[in-house]
Amino acid sequence: MNRREFLASTSVVTLGLGLVLTSGLPARAADSEAVIVLSSSEAGAPNQDPIRATLLSLASNLIYDRLVEQDDDQSYHPHLAESWETGADGMSWTFKLRQGVTFHDSEPFNAAAVAWWIGKYKGSPNEYMTAAIDRVEIVDDYTVRFVMKRPEPNLIFNLAQQFMGIPSPKSYEASGDSYGVTEAIGTGPYKLESFVVGQETVLVANEDYAWGTDLSENRAAPHIKRLTLREIPDSSTAFLELKTGGVGMLSSVPDEFLPQLQKEKQVGFRNLPGIGVTYLNFNSQSGAFADATMRQATALAIDQSAVLKSVYSGAGREAHQFLISSLAESKVDPQFEIHHDLDKAKKLLDQTGWINGSDGVRTKDNKRLRIKLWTRSETEFRRTAEIVQAQLKVLGMETEIVTFDNTTLRDQLRKGEHELVVSHYDWNNADILDWFYSAKNIPFPNSAMWNDAKSEELHDIAMLQSKNWDERVANFKKYQEYLLSQYAFAPLHEPAQNTAYNKDLLEVPERIRGPQFGQPTIVDMKTVQ
Amino acid sequence: MFLFIIKRLVLLVPVFFVVSLVVFLIIHLVPGNPIDNLMRAGSSSAQRVQIAAKYGLDRSLAEQYFVWMSRLMTGDLGTSIIQGRPVGALIARNLPYSLQLGGAALLFSALTGITAGVLAASFHGTRLDDGISGLILLGSTVPSFWLGLLLILVFAVWLGWVPISGARGWTSLILPVIATGVGGIALVARVTRIAMIETARQDFVMLLHAKGLSPLVIQLRHVLRHALVPVVTILALRIGWILGGTVTIEYVFARPGLGSLLIRGLNQRDYPLVQACLLMLAMAVILGTLIGDIVQAAMDPRQREERP
Repeated sequence: MNRREFLASTSVVTLGLGLVLTSGLPARAADSEAVIVLSSSEAGAPNQDPIRATLLSLASNLIYDRLVEQDDDQSYHPHLAESWETGADGMSWTFKLRQGVTFHDSEPFNAAAVAWWIGKYKGSPNEYMTAAIDRVEIVDDYTVRFVMKRPEPNLIFNLAQQFMGIPSPKSYEASGDSYGVTEAIGTGPYKLESFVVGQETVLVANEDYAWGTDLSENRAAPHIKRLTLREIPDSSTAFLELKTGGVGMLSSVPDEFLPQLQKEKQVGFRNLPGIGVTYLNFNSQSGAFADATMRQATALAIDQSAVLKSVYSGAGREAHQFLISSLAESKVDPQFEIHHDLDKAKKLLDQTGWINGSDGVRTKDNKRLRIKLWTRSETEFRRTAEIVQAQLKVLGMETEIVTFDNTTLRDQLRKGEHELVVSHYDWNNADILDWFYSAKNIPFPNSAMWNDAKSEELHDIAMLQSKNWDERVANFKKYQEYLLSQYAFAPLHEPAQNTAYNKDLLEVPERIRGPQFGQPTIVDMKTVQ
Repeated sequence: MFLFIIKRLVLLVPVFFVVSLVVFLIIHLVPGNPIDNLMRAGSSSAQRVQIAAKYGLDRSLAEQYFVWMSRLMTGDLGTSIIQGRPVGALIARNLPYSLQLGGAALLFSALTGITAGVLAASFHGTRLDDGISGLILLGSTVPSFWLGLLLILVFAVWLGWVPISGARGWTSLILPVIATGVGGIALVARVTRIAMIETARQDFVMLLHAKGLSPLVIQLRHVLRHALVPVVTILALRIGWILGGTVTIEYVFARPGLGSLLIRGLNQRDYPLVQACLLMLAMAVILGTLIGDIVQAAMDPRQREERP
């Protein structure tokens, strides 16, 4: 082969390879009737299998139905279960199932499907959701009874989670490991047409759908017949797509983008209560915050209204206790709530012997009151840390802000070298207190290193001894009130969830139902004619 | 020529092992671990132990490396811890998008760069040369993500000619290709210009002028041909960059690809995924260099004769 032939043949091979590789790519026109951009927290969801997944997107909320649905006020509503009752001792739950429901593969939904489905959680990453269920008894074709290992009032919460969507037993077993990637069959208002991880999920309306919940006006097939859920990692790009009509809706808008979006005439907004809280996490085992008075003084020096105004442009609400305000367990006795009181904070520090120095920083035994304030790298947390830094300076506490990415921060927290950390969680259940403050979870997720006998006792009562929901609420209130009295944390802010849509393209119901934007709202949405 | 290629391929084996060790150590030595990304409120510590055992994370680093390498030898890149799918399948899904964007960007920067370089060299010392050199300097200093956003604003938002983001159809490829390719144009144009100016000073060019050939034929058929040798080397070195250098562009234009896959894997400390992606990118650079050498050797017989 001479030089000329060699160059010619390699060029042909390269061109051919390029054509072969690129010919398989989708090149379809944008013919969908509505496009929604997923929130960044759902980005990269690898499959649509509720049983085995650890991260699910809005798509699985639309493909599958659950036995019960939760509203934004955290109340529970019937869906595939028409009604349910709990035994007096909390040791059994009986569900009457809705009749006439079919999966997308035309298989019937019945008691046998439920019994199969609960059994599949064993050995899965989501096993803990059904861990309290001993066995499932089929009473008749449309009645099932869960016999419990122990009373678990929280089962109702678990059943309403996205991870408790019910797949078709037949398709699930037939697809094996590829279930949720190439195929996802539920009873929901939308069927899966195509799914490309990290890019988009295309759904088409389930025209047989007739079993919507009372959270939606429309109980039948959704008005939007074809729905594309896209992932756009860069917020600026997503904003421009919304503005120009490339997409109809952003299911989650970062707070810092709100002022910009509000200037656009064609952009409409819907807000719903938050499902998370930002707070200051103290290391209660070592350093300055092992002292409860120091924790109290720091917590009282924080003015939550400044965080609300400066970081979140007024969106969301101030947090004065640890749980999201829509939970009944958050309604603690007001005397335990933590409110800004700088004078009291200063007096408390005076009492502990930390005396104000000439440069405004307190000292004790010739040691300056200097604290490391750790934070995550996202803009909202860095700005919150700056506000906290300014407020603690007034108290006479010098802070140095140290920034980490989220994964590194978690690793650093395990080492127990932290003092004060701007932290955040998203969870709409009071058992988050167990996650962050029970001794068994030291050093992580209990990075407060909180280990207190009375707290453990109240924790056990709330988590393991509550027989019904009301008892559980009362027990968790007591547990939180004790943690508040010990200033185990300093609550800062409860961010709102913001969605934005293009008014020229979509009609969106006034009120968004459910704890997050999802099925109950989407089935009511229409395209603008 | 055949012997030359074989020799170069054999040399790749030790390089591969060193690169694989570096890649493995880099991701395991940074703080953080993938299991934290799998745990939700309510998960038990027993589950943590179970996941660690399932993916062999409870073993020593040496053991983990050995297991990874032995699987790699059989063509198994492992299973993504977070995504729960074979890494090979994830890469196969994303690679075509990266090749499409990177290949088109390389072609764009090669053609535009060579044309600009030829023009600048042909009109050496004139205002056209100054103008092209100025533009080239600007192109090589503008950050690609910023250029990407600027292009979106002008061509997608104001003019509405192309889609803003996504990977549907060839029109969505135009802006990402320009944003990625501009940096390459600058490099290729500068190398072409200098190589052409230098070649034009050689004796054989004077002879060609003396023979009465037209200046255009001399520039394109003779000077450019000789000047292309360093250009081809530069382009081959950019093959690796094609796959990994488009990360920010993929992010801005919401395109899938190896870069997006790697960044997501890094954020979640998904060890098998990050290892495989980094190894692929490193191998692409090494293979790019090899291809560069081979093409250079094919174009210039002196190369293969002088080298061992």
